[in-house]
Amino acid sequence: MIRIAAASIRSRIVPTILVMIALTTSMALLLAVDRIQDATKRGFNQSLSGVDLVLGPRGSGIELILYTVFHLGKPTNNITTETLEDIESKPFIEWAIPIALGDSHRGFRVISTTAKYFDHIQFGGDQSLTFEAGRPFSALNDVVIGSAVADELDYSVGSSIFVTHGSEALGKVHDDFAFKVSGILNPTGTPTDQAIFVSLEGYELIHLGWTNGSQAVSLKNLDVSQIPKERLYPKTITAAYLGLSSKLNLFKVSRSINEYAEEPVNAVIPGVALAELWSMLGSIDIVFRIFNWLIIAISLIGMVTMTLTGLDSRTREMTILRALGATPANLASMVLIETAIVSITAVLLAIGLVRLLTWGAADFLSHWAGVRIDLTWINFSELSTLMTIVLAGLCASLIPAVMVYRRSLARGFSH
Amino acid sequence: MILKTSALAHTFKSGRHIQFPDFEVNAGEKIAVVGASGSGKSTLLNLITGVLPLQTGSIQLTEFTYHRLGARDLDTVRADHIGVIFQSLNLIPYLTALENAQLGLQFSTRRRSRVSDAQRVISELAIQLGLSADLLGQKPSELSIGQQQRVAAIRALIGKPELIIADEPTSALDPHATQLFMDQLSSSIDPETQAVIVVSHNPSIIPLFDRVISIGDDQ
Repeated sequence: MIRIAAASIRSRIVPTILVMIALTTSMALLLAVDRIQDATKRGFNQSLSGVDLVLGPRGSGIELILYTVFHLGKPTNNITTETLEDIESKPFIEWAIPIALGDSHRGFRVISTTAKYFDHIQFGGDQSLTFEAGRPFSALNDVVIGSAVADELDYSVGSSIFVTHGSEALGKVHDDFAFKVSGILNPTGTPTDQAIFVSLEGYELIHLGWTNGSQAVSLKNLDVSQIPKERLYPKTITAAYLGLSSKLNLFKVSRSINEYAEEPVNAVIPGVALAELWSMLGSIDIVFRIFNWLIIAISLIGMVTMTLTGLDSRTREMTILRALGATPANLASMVLIETAIVSITAVLLAIGLVRLLTWGAADFLSHWAGVRIDLTWINFSELSTLMTIVLAGLCASLIPAVMVYRRSLARGFSH
Repeated sequence: MILKTSALAHTFKSGRHIQFPDFEVNAGEKIAVVGASGSGKSTLLNLITGVLPLQTGSIQLTEFTYHRLGARDLDTVRADHIGVIFQSLNLIPYLTALENAQLGLQFSTRRRSRVSDAQRVISELAIQLGLSADLLGQKPSELSIGQQQRVAAIRALIGKPELIIADEPTSALDPHATQLFMDQLSSSIDPETQAVIVVSHNPSIIPLFDRVISIGDDQ
């Protein structure tokens, strides 16, 4: 019967392929959205560990996390280093790491910070940043690069780098001061891989003589070693990562910093901000999921319709099989076998397509946000979803199957 | 005795009633069932093959008495003991001639057990029926009507069912081709174990048969 059913499907290959495409695409989308979303959440949540609070200018907490941690979007305001020093001096703060953003190098964002960054910032739960080669920056012209930067630009320790002013690729290059790669970080699967780290002082140095985005004085005409170190400490920064002496005070400290009177600042708990982000995206996800299930339902209806419309033209075929001794149940089961072949083939194709979509999404996310997501084959829960769809298809095909059964009982060999 | 009918009648939902004559078919016999269109020839065929439920009278096919059998058993009896050839559109269009012929064994364990090498038996039957074995790989749409009828005959004959029933098998053939097909069909059956019933509205084929059963005279 399977052989006959398969041959019957082959005889209606064009409509069958169209139904299969609809079914495969809808199933793959349903699974891909789920797994990409899960993997993205996991990837984002694991990107920044060890940081209790992110301090930044007052505004959206989500936005602050996105541009500081994930390099998505641009900072709109700065906070003063005076405020940071004041907050850092509070007893509940164990450490503070200032960061200043704004420049880039060949599409990779430049983060100016202190060497403490490499001691305190963690990823994937509790893993510390480690060096594949070299060491953290210490001199003004030292730069540390992430693994993806090293791979893509083929940089090694000792390579020279000129930083571009602003985050646009076509911005003016700070070509009067070359940085030299002092260290390359091991891969982390986080935005760190796509970042370039310089010291706050080095960053300040290349901006000396810059006003309103254009350079008035070139560093080539200056003896950099004569510039006093305190002159190079920035007056403003983009944000700061804070570590608390006790995690129990997290919400209390966050609230107290948010009420800081001297400057409007915001202390965001990264996990809370990300949870807010997922919650916002959650409603979009529900709508998307509903649409997906609707497409699956329509595809299944399409499959049943294809079978139903084919029944009349297949009366002769059914009559021949009846004459040969096929029972009405045999004929009904042939319809079900055809449905099973179509839907199981669609499931197998969907598994492949999900893999492909996940791979594409992983590549996109890695380039867009520096977040690496795990590529896996189908898991049990996904397989259950697909089997539910196959079962739904078989249930829906009971309609034409029962019709075939009744017709073959009611009709003889004449028609 | 292969087939015996007695007091066979059928009443349709519309109230139309058909009474069939009693008859008996023995091994080696070629019987023609003739009657005008609408006389009940197809109904008789449906009753003999067990597709229509028996209302009145009795049918005995070899050792099986139909009124004692359920629908499923009747399907098995049909698969095991009857080979059917239709008027036209005899073959499943998406299967090759060989696959169509093999369908004769699909639903019958008994017929399957009698054929050790289906492909060889089909080739032999094809030669007996005047069909080139090269054509067995073709789809029905690539065969002439006469060739299609021969493939249907192979499907009916394979596994040696006791009764071959052909419903207007020659209606699409010219008189010469009809004569040839009937001769080939007759020579392909085993006279010791098989018999042929051909249903037709064409009285000109009567001389080709051993006996004629006329129906529809007393409607």
